[in-house]
Amino acid sequence: MALINRSLFIRIVLATWALHAASGVAAEPLDLSKHRGKVVLVDFWASWCEPCRHSFPWLNDMQARYGDRLVVIGVNVDRERADADRFLALVPAHFQVIYDPAGELAARYEVMGMPSSYVFDTSGRLVEKHVGFRKSQRAEREAQLQALLAPASGQSRPLK
Amino acid sequence: MKDRRLILAFSTLLALLDGCTTLEPWQRDVLARPEMSLDASPLDAGIDDHIYFSKEASSGGRGFGGGGCGCN
Amino acid sequence: MSDNDPSMAATLAAATCALLGAGNASAADDEGDRWSIDSALLYYGEADNRVQDISAAISATRDFDDERKLTLSLTVDTLTGASPSGAIALDRPQTFTSPSGNKTYVTAAGKIPLDDTFLDTRYAATASWTQPLARLYTFSAGLGFSTEYDYTHLGANFSLARDFNKRNTTLFAGVAWSQDDIDPVGGAPIPMSQMLDAGDQSHKLGSDSKTVLDLLVGITQVLGRNTVLRVNYSFSDASGYLNDPYKIVSVVDPLSGDTLLRSPPSGAGPTGVYLYESRPDSRLKHSVYAELKHSLGRPVLHVAYRFMTDDWGIDSHTADARLRWPIGAAYFVEPQLRYYTQNEADFYRSSLRADEPVPQYASADFRLGSFDAVTAGVKFGGTTSRGGEWSARLEYYMQSGDVPSDQIIGNQARREQYPDLNAVIVQFGYKFRM
Repeated sequence: MALINRSLFIRIVLATWALHAASGVAAEPLDLSKHRGKVVLVDFWASWCEPCRHSFPWLNDMQARYGDRLVVIGVNVDRERADADRFLALVPAHFQVIYDPAGELAARYEVMGMPSSYVFDTSGRLVEKHVGFRKSQRAEREAQLQALLAPASGQSRPLK
Repeated sequence: MKDRRLILAFSTLLALLDGCTTLEPWQRDVLARPEMSLDASPLDAGIDDHIYFSKEASSGGRGFGGGGCGCN
Repeated sequence: MSDNDPSMAATLAAATCALLGAGNASAADDEGDRWSIDSALLYYGEADNRVQDISAAISATRDFDDERKLTLSLTVDTLTGASPSGAIALDRPQTFTSPSGNKTYVTAAGKIPLDDTFLDTRYAATASWTQPLARLYTFSAGLGFSTEYDYTHLGANFSLARDFNKRNTTLFAGVAWSQDDIDPVGGAPIPMSQMLDAGDQSHKLGSDSKTVLDLLVGITQVLGRNTVLRVNYSFSDASGYLNDPYKIVSVVDPLSGDTLLRSPPSGAGPTGVYLYESRPDSRLKHSVYAELKHSLGRPVLHVAYRFMTDDWGIDSHTADARLRWPIGAAYFVEPQLRYYTQNEADFYRSSLRADEPVPQYASADFRLGSFDAVTAGVKFGGTTSRGGEWSARLEYYMQSGDVPSDQIIGNQARREQYPDLNAVIVQFGYKFRM
């Protein structure tokens, strides 16, 4: 997907900074600055989201494959933590999961559908946005990630 | 005459619906529950339709789509 | 790399999973459980030795990647019993020729005549395919087929749904077409012709057909976190043979209201003057249907209303309410109440007066008459430990109608005029994934 406009990007950066600065807020802070130098994939998911059952194996795969150069962060928007835990027991996440039960992060990212993915390049710029998860798009999305990961040395590490 | 009243009633309903609150995509937890789907139990619905079609003069009207988790 | 590095942990986890084969579990969950099977067994039984029906239905849905799915269904039902023929009761026994024309049957004095007991098995199959055309568009196409000894149906349908407003609003449009062939036992009788003696087929023709076109447009609207509403408008155009080939109308004396008598020459034929019904060869219907589901925490309320009007002069109202009440984590109970009312068709005649000219259209079929019906029932269900869902429902359907007062003549007033219907419905269902 094409580059997202600067105003949305600026809003997201300011919002996540503000969220980090304001302590005691329900959502855990999403501080992308500590991942500078790596590609970050932020994925909004919920226990009731059927396509998320199919996206997790792929996200796990991406995290495992590009391990030290990619950070996958799953943002859960369930109102009840128990629902998220139940989902994770059936469909494990081998990536970082943070919780946004009040939907504040989702609102700031202007999530348009569930699930939604936001890809940030190594300098922290938002470069990709995906609404929904379709198996037919896996190869294309992985290619997009690879293009962003290009500066690293050597081939991507195979899974097995 | 009857047809015109029908069209008026239907359009009014559509106009009213236009001013409804918008639910955000991450707030669809309740609507995603299977019992909240308008198309749950299609087999039951088909059986009912067949019984009532055989004993009454009206039938059908349902269609499908919408509601639910709104995913993808 | 620190011990807390998520990528290291992830790699180790993936490697371990691959070794143990557990890594395939999430892949299996992803690839498995693609078939969803729903089955139902139904018994429908009317009081007074009228219709009884046992039916079994099974539906299988196969989910493919990216929200494409295929649904196949098969239904078999066996119908036995008799239905009111449209003739009125008399103070003396009446004899009628059976639909096949080979024999006769007798109705006792004072009883509303039921047509000859029949046994019929119907097979019906449907197939439908659903897939997204683009992110916000869903397309569906289906085929349907059914066959029974005197009736064959073939149908096709297409529909398109488009989401708006962050999928809070869905617009839907569908079209269905069906072609039915009717091949009545003994042949389709000439409308408004007289029921003849056994063996006399001169008023019978062969088979006939009808075509139905249905159009439906609808809107589904999310009204809030707990509520969803759907409103549909549908239009139906049926043309061709719309008569019921087995229904008759009694011709009565204009003063006494009793059926005109005749003596069958060889004793094998009708004892009265009965004419086969006649309906127009076209029927246009308009319906508006609205339904709402509202979550009250864990219980879910479902209410629906439909208004139908057609060019046969029938208006009907249907109101339905159900409340699904969970019991514990795995069970639920769902009481249901439905109310239905319709008025009679323009050409509905409970009987024809002998001193009036035979009309072009006339039918005494109770289903085109004026009646109210109530369904009261309850459904129980639960989830098994393996994830299957079972359900059982019990319903009573009570239909009671009346003949317009200007159609009641003489002695008819002191007899039962409208064949009220009482039926029990029992259904068991089981749903599972594999």
